[in-house]
Amino acid sequence: MGVKLSRTFVLRKLHQLSGIMPLGIFLLEHFYTNSKALTGPADFNNAVKDLQSIPYILFVEIGGIFIPLIYHAVYGLVITMEARPNNLAYPYPRNWFYLIQRITGMILFFFITFHVLNFRFGLIPGLNTISVAHSPQMAFDIVSREFRIIPIFIVYMIGIAATVWHLANGIWLFMVDWGITIGERAQRLTGYACIAFGVVLLLVGINAAIAFIRPGGLLGGIL
Amino acid sequence: MSAHAVNQKKSNRVPPKTVEIHIRRRANPDSPQYWEVFELPYRPNLNIISCLMEIQKNPVTKEGNPTTPPVWQMNCLEQVCGICTMVINGRARQSCSALIDNLEQPIKLEPMSKFPNIRDLVVDRSQMFDHLKQVNAWVELDGTHDLGPGPRMDQEEVQERYSYSRCMTCGCCLEACPQYEGDNYIGPQAIAQVRLFNMHPSGKMTRDERLEGIMGEDGITNCGNAQNCVKACPMGIPLTRAIYEENRETVVHGLFGWLKS
Repeated sequence: MGVKLSRTFVLRKLHQLSGIMPLGIFLLEHFYTNSKALTGPADFNNAVKDLQSIPYILFVEIGGIFIPLIYHAVYGLVITMEARPNNLAYPYPRNWFYLIQRITGMILFFFITFHVLNFRFGLIPGLNTISVAHSPQMAFDIVSREFRIIPIFIVYMIGIAATVWHLANGIWLFMVDWGITIGERAQRLTGYACIAFGVVLLLVGINAAIAFIRPGGLLGGIL
Repeated sequence: MSAHAVNQKKSNRVPPKTVEIHIRRRANPDSPQYWEVFELPYRPNLNIISCLMEIQKNPVTKEGNPTTPPVWQMNCLEQVCGICTMVINGRARQSCSALIDNLEQPIKLEPMSKFPNIRDLVVDRSQMFDHLKQVNAWVELDGTHDLGPGPRMDQEEVQERYSYSRCMTCGCCLEACPQYEGDNYIGPQAIAQVRLFNMHPSGKMTRDERLEGIMGEDGITNCGNAQNCVKACPMGIPLTRAIYEENRETVVHGLFGWLKS
């Protein structure tokens, strides 16, 4: 018997999958590249240059990042529109997570749009008009100059925190949505694992951002 | 708050002299909702139903205006039929088991918001029955002849199936669900019944039909994992477990089913 797959079923499953792969994987790669700034501007600039030398970079970037990102963002907004939050009547942790997942999603919609136009394309007149990707030799300086503007740095801190939350909770959601985690104990244990993962990822992400304004990051000179 | 804590709080409290009840009413399906306030003398061990019966006997509002007697549904009065479910102080629960001593006053009674409101506290929950039909929530048996004793189930499965079988179709899970609105999502109630019948040795034979019942536009993927359902369920049914088991079944069926054809 043929399997009838409804539109919603396919779109939701693609949404859940795209959040982990490629977007979650990409975030890890992104934080890895950012962390290159810990050992100095030259290492970071070389890492940016290396990324630009990936074979078929245009297709990798479009198929691996832009299409999944736009799909995940736009369909995520569609899902968010369906929500009828009732957190005051039912104030349970998972219900708050449900709401926060949607709030961080909306924050990310605006933050990532700004971030991509800003650094990837250099299309924010008055702030930055140089594409980091196309000028690897200036990459560190472009970021460093912007991060010294306090409001911009705060926007990035909020953006990083929202992204990390969205991914860490998103991994948990993926595991239940795809039937990997089932029972109550497994839900709890994978929940702890995702919190631990999120805390580590948040520290890595913030430390990498700080490395652009303080040599060596938070623990500069110690490690 | 645990039941113990509630009882402790209760014992330290001076019983009130009166019970004030606000009811969100509606005269007929097409007319607007309005609030009416009633007050009745307190006595120990009152529940919502006994208060409503008192109001029904003498339908006069707190201000002294005569009104129509409020309408609600009830049947078993021991929290097994589910028909008396309403929203009490913001949360869906059975009014028969809602004791006045455990509730904050003034008590607010509202009809469930996720179903068509017929009159006062009465709602039409037939969409839940439609959902059960949509997922073939039964075991196909042809004829009345003796089919023998049937296959055996292990104790673990029996226990799990028993918990799903306790569903009384009250609708608390749907009222508490932030994703359930109108007919856009089939909801935990029907998904748990898919699990119940897909675990049954004879029910398994029509497993794919049930899976496709929850893989449509209003299907299982609309779950947002807020997990209010499992907290709101008065029968303690492991609804999230049922949803996640069916997530696994539908993912395998959806992703790999076509490879069998």
